[in-house]
Amino acid sequence: MNDATLLHRQVNPSWIQHGRVTSQAFKPTPKDEFKLSVYDGDLIGPEDAWVHYTQTLSLESAGVLAVTVAECRSHELDARPDPEPFPEHAIVDFSGLGTSQIEKKSKKLKASAVDRGWQFEPEAE
Amino acid sequence: MTGERFDGHAIPLEFLKDLAVIEEMVIEVAKWRFLQSNPDRKRTPRGFTSGVSLRLTGVEDGSAIPVIGLVLAGGTLFPPENQTYFVEARDAIVLAIGAAEADQPNSILEHLPERALSYFDRIGRSLRDGEAMELAIRRDATPARLTKETRRRLVLASSRAQALTEETVIRGVIPEADQDALTFQVQLSDGRKVPSPMDEPHVDTILEAFNGFRSGVRVLLEGIGRRTRTGKLERIESIEHMSLLDPLDVAARLDELRSLKNGWLEGVGTAPDAGGLDWLATAFETQYSDVLPLPYLYPTEDGGVRAEWPFDNTEASLDIDLVSKRAIWHDLNLETDAEQTQELDLSDAAGWSWIADRIGALPGGGR
Repeated sequence: MNDATLLHRQVNPSWIQHGRVTSQAFKPTPKDEFKLSVYDGDLIGPEDAWVHYTQTLSLESAGVLAVTVAECRSHELDARPDPEPFPEHAIVDFSGLGTSQIEKKSKKLKASAVDRGWQFEPEAE
Repeated sequence: MTGERFDGHAIPLEFLKDLAVIEEMVIEVAKWRFLQSNPDRKRTPRGFTSGVSLRLTGVEDGSAIPVIGLVLAGGTLFPPENQTYFVEARDAIVLAIGAAEADQPNSILEHLPERALSYFDRIGRSLRDGEAMELAIRRDATPARLTKETRRRLVLASSRAQALTEETVIRGVIPEADQDALTFQVQLSDGRKVPSPMDEPHVDTILEAFNGFRSGVRVLLEGIGRRTRTGKLERIESIEHMSLLDPLDVAARLDELRSLKNGWLEGVGTAPDAGGLDWLATAFETQYSDVLPLPYLYPTEDGGVRAEWPFDNTEASLDIDLVSKRAIWHDLNLETDAEQTQELDLSDAAGWSWIADRIGALPGGGR
């Protein structure tokens, strides 16, 4: 994992309205314990990450957005591998930040990801 | 008549239809009373109802109190030979409503025959939550209250009633339209399809929404809907108003969120509370100015709703707790990093006023 590594993030279908993604997609929720789960792009591509998420883990995803490790670090967020759940798993660590800081950094990350565009979108059924 | 719409001694015109049905009902119940009192007769005497009518003779002060008089053609008030049955009819109707109010369905049928209860399908159809038509036997008597709920009990007290009609508001897309049969279907956010007649004044709106189905064009339909005994909307019987909705229409989006189930987010997301969504829809309707840009709305993991507004270089968000009705506002200028956070009480108009002022102050806020 280096600065250019893409960190793939799955987006829940309810977090898209008329094509616009909420910044919650890049904000760790209480269940995340301040750690945002992503896929390490050096180890898995966006489509395979989506297949793993929706088929192996049986979770819902409307598509895959991504930020780089460098973008996380520019916002003073540590991104690192966390292979315990599965080998390609990584985290962006928001630990120790207050509510306002988490809000700010998640909005910034989401803006970068949206500028980059969808890395994978399943075809409409 | 009690409720917000009747303040200032005013009665909406649509209720005049109800008053006309009361006339039909009083006459039919009077005939029934006559036949009950005269079991040897098979029909009422010739001329029993001819020329009889109810007339709205005034609206009294204090609230919207329509004064209804029983008159005969020529203006003769209450001929004695018929008066008794019409007075009994009035009393029977009021007592039946009182029984429904007390939730005593068996008692309803002690006052009125089953066939007469079907009149209530056309009386009070426009009543909304919190509104009532109060009817009294005497001026000093406690009135019986016809509300949405008591009306439903009255209609369904008849074993003949399979459904009842009531004023209905729905939002949805139009995936099907049959211009030959003049019918179409409105698909609700939960996927159910509700058939409706294609009433002529609304054809253009219906076809525009039909053609925009794939891009998600939605409509607001207000009309008379037919519901089963269990409350399921079977079909629209007639359309009163219809309009295309803004793509970001708040109530329509909140309707979509109603279909979420617990576990919607990676197995742990809490579904938003239906009552909380009702409150938020009403709050946006009444407290959020329609000159302001509409927000995007998303569910939150803990059962709340998050509103987001993208402005020029600024991302604003409002995390709303549907239970406490409190919210946290945050806006961030993505270029300058200028930000503002504010806790708000959205059960208070001041909270909404703060949001309006803040949006107006943001670049691209639209005021």
